[in-house]
Amino acid sequence: MVTDTPRLDWQSAVADALVAAGITVAAYVPDTRLQGILSLLADNGVRMRSLTREEECIGYAAGQRIAGRRPVVLMQSSGLGNALNALGSLAVPYRLGLPLVVSMRGTLGEANPSQVPLGRSAAELLRTLGIQAFSLRTAAAAAQVTAGAVTLAFQAGECAALMLEAELGGGREGS
Amino acid sequence: MKAADVAQAVVETFADALCVSSLGTATSALRAASDDGPHFYLGASMGSALAAAMGVAEAVPDRLVVAVLGDGELLMGASALWSVSAYRPRNLVAVVLSDGAYDITGGQQLSAPPRFAAVAQALGGIAGLRVSSDSGLRRALAELGRPCLIEAELTESAWPGPSPFVDPAQVRLAFAANAARTPAS
Repeated sequence: MVTDTPRLDWQSAVADALVAAGITVAAYVPDTRLQGILSLLADNGVRMRSLTREEECIGYAAGQRIAGRRPVVLMQSSGLGNALNALGSLAVPYRLGLPLVVSMRGTLGEANPSQVPLGRSAAELLRTLGIQAFSLRTAAAAAQVTAGAVTLAFQAGECAALMLEAELGGGREGS
Repeated sequence: MKAADVAQAVVETFADALCVSSLGTATSALRAASDDGPHFYLGASMGSALAAAMGVAEAVPDRLVVAVLGDGELLMGASALWSVSAYRPRNLVAVVLSDGAYDITGGQQLSAPPRFAAVAQALGGIAGLRVSSDSGLRRALAELGRPCLIEAELTESAWPGPSPFVDPAQVRLAFAANAARTPAS
């Protein structure tokens, strides 16, 4: 369920860029920092699919993509660990070109020790699979970096990850 | 019933369906039954096939989508059943090859009977039925409301034929063309 939530400038810029790129469906596992993006996507008529697990999101998006649609997958960095097999043995070898939006935990301001190992390794895990990861730290860069990642995904056919870093705010570490 | 019989019943009942098969036996059986038809054969990513089929079903609502799944496969991604129950795509049929074993890794037994049809029924919004004969399977395919899950009890273990190690590029291109096609009336 996507509920009313404050929308930060960078969240608006990310959501607008996704909508402008023709995203029709969002598969996600909920997260605090993602919430503003999710509610904006819903407001723009994007089909919202809250699924039970991150690898399920990759599987669902793979089905959408191979059928010619433009999905986006959104998850928290801790959930990236759940998604690795589906990325590495489905999205990457089938060259499905999925755009991923990853809300970072375990870095600046993190108070939960259990979030740290996957947070600090998330970008490296993606790169090891051959997936480029682009860190977003400022609202000013949000539109350009999001649009660029989506182009890489849909036009070059390469999975591409937008990493929403702690400096953006809107996450648990700021509360 | 063998896995090959189940896939044969699927392609004969739904000649125009878009099929998604999980790695191993399901992919081999669907390749054999459809003469390597333009379906979405998963070569790995165990546990993802039902979610992929749901993605296809919602992307192409005017086509019937059939997921052909191993029972070990579905056990690994069983939470996708909860999502099917939540979103209820009316064009999705899931057929489970139920032999209680992980065939692709050497036939090791599942630790517990999966009871997928009963689970589907319990979740709500998914018609679930366990069948043990070819005629029962064909009747279920034709008559069950959708989305549905048909658990086909295999009584004979036989490897269907072709390799399950598909070429992803070839699968993607053939499936994309199939999905873009206007459905047969």
